[in-house]
Amino acid sequence: MSRTISRAAWYVLLVVVVALVLAPALWMLSTSIKPEREIITTQIRWIPQNFTVEHFQAIVQNYPMMQWLFNSLFTATAATLLVLVLDSMAGYAFARMEFRGRGLLFMIVLSMLFVPIQITVVPLFILFSRLGLTDTYWALILPVGANVTGVFLMRQFFLSIPGELEEAARVDGASAFRVFWSVVLPLARPALTAVAIITFLSTWNSFFWPLIVTRSDSVRTLPVGIAQFLSLRAGMVQGQMSIGQSMAGAVFAALPPIVIFVILQRYFIEGISRTGIKG
Amino acid sequence: MRILPRTAESGSYAALAGLAPKRRPSLTPYYFILPYLVFFVLFRLGPSLAGLGIAFTNWQAVGTPRFVGFANFEAMARDPRLGDAFQNTVFFALLTVPTLIVLSLALALFLNQPRRGRAVGRVVVFMPYVIMSTVVGVLWTWILDKDFGLLNVYLNFFGIANVPWLVSESTAMYGIILTTVWWTVGYNMVLFLAGLQDIPHELYEAARIDGARAWGVFRFVTLPLLAPTTFLVLMLTIINSFQVFDQVYVMTSGGPGTATLTLVQYIYTTSFQFQKFGYGSAVALILFGILVIVAFFQIRGYRRGLKGVE
Repeated sequence: MSRTISRAAWYVLLVVVVALVLAPALWMLSTSIKPEREIITTQIRWIPQNFTVEHFQAIVQNYPMMQWLFNSLFTATAATLLVLVLDSMAGYAFARMEFRGRGLLFMIVLSMLFVPIQITVVPLFILFSRLGLTDTYWALILPVGANVTGVFLMRQFFLSIPGELEEAARVDGASAFRVFWSVVLPLARPALTAVAIITFLSTWNSFFWPLIVTRSDSVRTLPVGIAQFLSLRAGMVQGQMSIGQSMAGAVFAALPPIVIFVILQRYFIEGISRTGIKG
Repeated sequence: MRILPRTAESGSYAALAGLAPKRRPSLTPYYFILPYLVFFVLFRLGPSLAGLGIAFTNWQAVGTPRFVGFANFEAMARDPRLGDAFQNTVFFALLTVPTLIVLSLALALFLNQPRRGRAVGRVVVFMPYVIMSTVVGVLWTWILDKDFGLLNVYLNFFGIANVPWLVSESTAMYGIILTTVWWTVGYNMVLFLAGLQDIPHELYEAARIDGARAWGVFRFVTLPLLAPTTFLVLMLTIINSFQVFDQVYVMTSGGPGTATLTLVQYIYTTSFQFQKFGYGSAVALILFGILVIVAFFQIRGYRRGLKGVE
């Protein structure tokens, strides 16, 4: 008897939790497909009486949504590939190779975890303007290569795997690069996946630096575009934004990562746990 | 949890494999590490040190920067907007951090039970975190709308009159906090879930055989063994809270008045709207100081917490 009660309680609580978390997201979706007169009302109607895609048409016509989306996807992908190459090599050297200054160097790298990026943005901005590279993809991609978390995760991973395979390959006469490429990297798939997901997510979501360094629509990323042109605040200033369009923009930007997440959720959750605990 | 680097035990192996011969130092390790180091020095270490230097100048984008000693820091003491930003940031952290920790731990414990539907629960609770912060800001601006927002309409239902949320100085910060909790609670829950999985099952069984009830198990098994995870989550949430920016920029831009002006929002406007690079960097240095102090206490507390367990 008590078993059934607790089982019922479990389902009730689960439904409440799921509903509370989902409600804002579903309301965004619902608002984005309603005509404006159904939006400005205190009557809650989750399913619109009249469906419309006018808000989506309007934002795609009025704003370079596709260009922003492409910019975000392209820079996040390029930055992720860059980080995978740099961090797997550096993490491997820190974990498996002996060289002068290794300990000190690693401490210096790690110490940068505590330095907020707000200290680095002014010099970084000046560096990129001197190079004539502000408002380019380079400015969005290159600084991600200096990330610390990825190196740290790769090092921790390489410390945790046994070295016999590499040893065997070396005895067979393979060079250090060959061992790394054909023995070590295939073993490191879980760590590489975690680093890839974390890097992609943080670059895709990154706002402070792209806000500072982008000016034109051909480079501007989706979070910056949304914040500057499609937020209700921006709309108030411009005096023309409709709530429907604002929500359509939000759906447009939220949908791709949600779909990817639902498909790859196992890797996401594993990757995140790895940063926290195993790291 | 291993935040501090573990001394590498791979030395003997590396020597065996010939990667680091004792007699003639090999260059191979440097080939592996150099590409990363170039990026690290150019885009992280160098700019950090330069930022440190700029904080002691009066640089304003045009004109030559001049070294001004501690003048920027003296000016800060007389800057009422900075005082507001500091207070607001601390207030935000004081409310957000405990809320996030309690809520994400509760959700982790709830969704750690071996019952049907927990996987769906986990995915749904984590989902907001994959949405961009600015999109979350846009979405919650509408949810928190004074007249037509979803939240107020439901609150009316329970007899609560319209809360002005983002348009009133006294409630705006609560709106930002609510948004932040919704966005990040799932991320912290996943960290707690991973910590829970690391607790050996036998310990629960032993406690139960000793006659412990659910609360006793939680108090004397789960909570102490979860301490390293809790410290990690505490540290991450504090660090992130002191750097809150995206939501604020999108939802209120620091307003109304200075009600939601945070340290990073202030650094942004000072450096990049008023082009006061020197002063902005000095404020960033204060933020760095706060984070260092937090890290110091965290590491001390973490050590003490571990001793308590053993």
